[in-house]
Amino acid sequence: MKTTSHVLMIMFALLSISLVAQSCNITTESVKVYGSNERCREEIETAGNQKNVARVSWNPESKTATLTYDSRQTSKDEILKRIALAGFDNELYYTPDDVYEKLAPGCKYERPRKMALIPDGKANLRHDSQQAANADQQKTSPLKMIIDRYLALKDALVENNGELASKKAGELAGAIDKVSMQSLEGDSHQVWMNVKSELAEHAEHISQTKNLAHQRDHFDGLSKNLYRLVKAHPTGITLYYQHCPMFNEGKGGDWLSGENTIRNPFYGSQMLTCGKTVETLK
Amino acid sequence: MITSHLRLRSPRNMKKMNTNWLITLCLLMTFLSETGTAQNVVQYHLYVRDTLVNFTGKEKHAIAVNGQIPMPTLTFTEGDTAEIYVHNELKESTSLHWHGVFLPNREDGVPYLTQMPIQPGKVYVYRFPVIQHGTHWYHSHSGLQEQLGMYGSLIFKKRKNDPRFRHGIDDLPTMPVTLSEWTNYHPHNVERMLHNASDWFALRKNAVQSYGEAIREGHLKTKVGNEWKRMLAMDVSDVYYDKFLVNGHPNGSFTPGQGKNVRLQISNAGASTNFWLRYAGGKITVVANDGNDVEPVEVDRLLIAVSETYDLVVTIPDTTVAYEFMATSEDRTGSASLYIGQGVRQLISPLPRLKYFEGMKMMNGMMKMSGDLDDMGMHMSLNQMDMNVVMYPEITGSASDKKKARTNPEHDHHPAKDRYNANRLSSITTLNYAMLQSPDSTQLPDGPTRELRFELTGNMNRYVWSLDNKVVSEADKILIKKGENVRLILFNNSMMRHPMHLHGHDFRVLNGKGVNSPLKNVIDIMPMETDTLEFHANVYGDWFFHCHILYHMMSGMGRVISYENQPNNPLIPNPRYAQRKLFSDDRHFHMMAENDFATNGNDGLLMFQNTRWTLGTEWRLGYNDMHGYETETHVGRYIGRMQWLMIFAGFDWRYRNEGIDERGENIFGQRNTKDDRALTSLGFSYKLPMLIDFQTEVFHNGTFRLQLMREDIPVTKRLRMGFMVNSDAEYMVEARYVFTRNLGLRTHYDSDMGFGAGISVTY
Repeated sequence: MKTTSHVLMIMFALLSISLVAQSCNITTESVKVYGSNERCREEIETAGNQKNVARVSWNPESKTATLTYDSRQTSKDEILKRIALAGFDNELYYTPDDVYEKLAPGCKYERPRKMALIPDGKANLRHDSQQAANADQQKTSPLKMIIDRYLALKDALVENNGELASKKAGELAGAIDKVSMQSLEGDSHQVWMNVKSELAEHAEHISQTKNLAHQRDHFDGLSKNLYRLVKAHPTGITLYYQHCPMFNEGKGGDWLSGENTIRNPFYGSQMLTCGKTVETLK
Repeated sequence: MITSHLRLRSPRNMKKMNTNWLITLCLLMTFLSETGTAQNVVQYHLYVRDTLVNFTGKEKHAIAVNGQIPMPTLTFTEGDTAEIYVHNELKESTSLHWHGVFLPNREDGVPYLTQMPIQPGKVYVYRFPVIQHGTHWYHSHSGLQEQLGMYGSLIFKKRKNDPRFRHGIDDLPTMPVTLSEWTNYHPHNVERMLHNASDWFALRKNAVQSYGEAIREGHLKTKVGNEWKRMLAMDVSDVYYDKFLVNGHPNGSFTPGQGKNVRLQISNAGASTNFWLRYAGGKITVVANDGNDVEPVEVDRLLIAVSETYDLVVTIPDTTVAYEFMATSEDRTGSASLYIGQGVRQLISPLPRLKYFEGMKMMNGMMKMSGDLDDMGMHMSLNQMDMNVVMYPEITGSASDKKKARTNPEHDHHPAKDRYNANRLSSITTLNYAMLQSPDSTQLPDGPTRELRFELTGNMNRYVWSLDNKVVSEADKILIKKGENVRLILFNNSMMRHPMHLHGHDFRVLNGKGVNSPLKNVIDIMPMETDTLEFHANVYGDWFFHCHILYHMMSGMGRVISYENQPNNPLIPNPRYAQRKLFSDDRHFHMMAENDFATNGNDGLLMFQNTRWTLGTEWRLGYNDMHGYETETHVGRYIGRMQWLMIFAGFDWRYRNEGIDERGENIFGQRNTKDDRALTSLGFSYKLPMLIDFQTEVFHNGTFRLQLMREDIPVTKRLRMGFMVNSDAEYMVEARYVFTRNLGLRTHYDSDMGFGAGISVTY
């Protein structure tokens, strides 16, 4: 009995020492962390929490997080970096764009920094004037939005990224919706009337799934219709109509690309360079 | 510039050094201001000291120069004379090599080759005219000191009136960036563990690639194929590092005063780490390599090999944001970051983990049964085709995509030449040597041409690295003549990449750019690649040509290139002695010891091995006479490039008393003395497919013994199994669970001693 109480006493003493030692270094801070709503909370907190070292509690209304951490073992910097790498901009770190893109759709939020600045981010040692000229030219076509988004979708498929493809297809569907018929004249007006519903349907199908095989089936249809449209209504953008003979059990598949080099959206990395350019559209 | 001497990092030495330093600094300033303009002699004083550093929460031994790691950045302008005083305050000798610098041979800083080492307590002066410009670096060439912190930037500026001065590049805000790595294991231990084929580093990296993991990822066939071809688990680098550093810290920042473009002068001072360089603010423009200007070329990322330097220009797109410039180790276990600009920090995504089993599969494909590599007719060169892309998820898709894709393998019909071409496989542009072009003609002067061919050879299992299967101590100097043009053709027939470095000269890399072929002094050669280099022999001396991975160099991967009829080096008074010391690096024996303290006795071994020789004793010691005591000692020599064959002489001793004089009979009907014997033997051991050691031994009394043994079968990340069976009808099976580098739990069943379990200790 006596020994037990001794042991207990010693244990208690040790415990209180360690508690005291710990409490001296506990820091609490309130910081800005961006996110859409309640749905992001778990992701933000999980990313920031570290067992016995750091605890994060995020308030969706005020977009602030309360950090409670042991300042001997970690810092606000480290916690916020982890949160940024999970997709959430905050007062110290901006999340990488590709990480933000992978957030669940409901979790996307308005980012504090305007991402449009990135394309300027090239070292301006060459090619600059040329790029600007291209950009001006492209603005003139009313179909540019559609083509841009189509090409982004194609790139997502090339990279085998079903999630991104789904997102890009959603944007494409939005762009198709917005084209005003008045801006298209004569023949191209007629073609537009014919292909619009098909384009929209394929884009929607792609946006509703993350299954790459399913997306690619619809991408083939989407591409064929877009080809008809571009053929009837020259856009001023150089496009390459490309063909992969193996897709769909040998029936073949077609797509449009902004570059002559083959990067196959039907198989991605698996056989990226399979295919050939069959027509150049200007 | 000079004030950088005062940046002390070691708190322990701070007080003492501060006063010293103030005095030195004052003296130096006065001296500099007097002589600086008149003769353009620029002096530096470097104080080399042991220090303690704390990168991971543990204090560890390191070497600091002027109290800092990395060593201070030394800056000169082309035309200056450099005068560098080295004060060796270590307990061991040291030296400094000026990497990529044209200088008289005696200033090159290779101990026992171009000078005798700087002894403890001595002051040594390096003095040479600066006759080039560019980003270079300097490091200790003594033993493994480089790994302990002896590296720093060496910047030669262009003169303002230089016709090669490039406006918009040479006048940008500039920062020298030294990349390096830190391990809490002492480098001598690292070297020993590599030679002992310890897989502890793989375990730390989570890259053991065990059978269990192979089965889980659907790669059992790949793993069996790998062991069938006698390979250990493959990796892109050998050592596990605790931290990666930019200018001595895991994170750094650079806030240029004004302007959107900045220039980074990067040197990779890592002892064995190649780094991926990427930037969150957009493209990276490469403007110089190994201190030589190149035509600007824009890329998304580049790999900087060990000991290379690159000058990069990056843009700060938004002045309210700091953009992350990230250096990730090639094995992707960690990274260091530099934040460029001011404001909230824009991160870049970390590189995803390597798909090791895809790499293993690729290795299986290119490895012939003979241990030679088969390039399948691809004629690879200049890093244009990177077999490792199969392991990069950002280029060839993540492992789970691959699994889905495997359902229709017949579709895999890339033309062979594009299958590994990173720039054709994705939208990410990766720099390769074929993209580098010199702004000026680099044609060599007319003269006779000498062609030298080297095959880069080695084997991972025993960690032997060599040229033409000869290490430095086994080969003669390569003799060339002053005035001739030397063409080097290098073929990498080993499984690792090797950054080959030539001292004292720049070579042109024949990369298809004709007269504008780029100049370099290090070329990273991937497995199966052949690269052609040429240089003009214009300066007498003994010049080291070696792989710059520290542990490869120390195991003897190099040659000395020497000029015919050259004057003697007065700094080497006794060339024979110096040569013996130089050779001792790769002749060095590495110790390995193991003992299992088990319930039925002690099992263990003690081994000393070097490039070709092995001396080892194994023992099984029971706790009583009945179980007996037994030792086997072998002295052996490894034969051939892959070192699968080892011939040996041995001595067996055994004593056991079971009460009855039991004599065993082997499977050939020969009797052997189980209980009391002392026999000498001759035999050989040969490594069979699946890494099984087949050993044949004949004893002086005429008895034979054949034995099959396999140790360290990786069942899971931490579980190893092994077995042994021989013609004396003895057998053993074991299982070991690895806890730490030194400790494990082992259980085994031995035909003589029965079942046992215990703690196994490894050194």
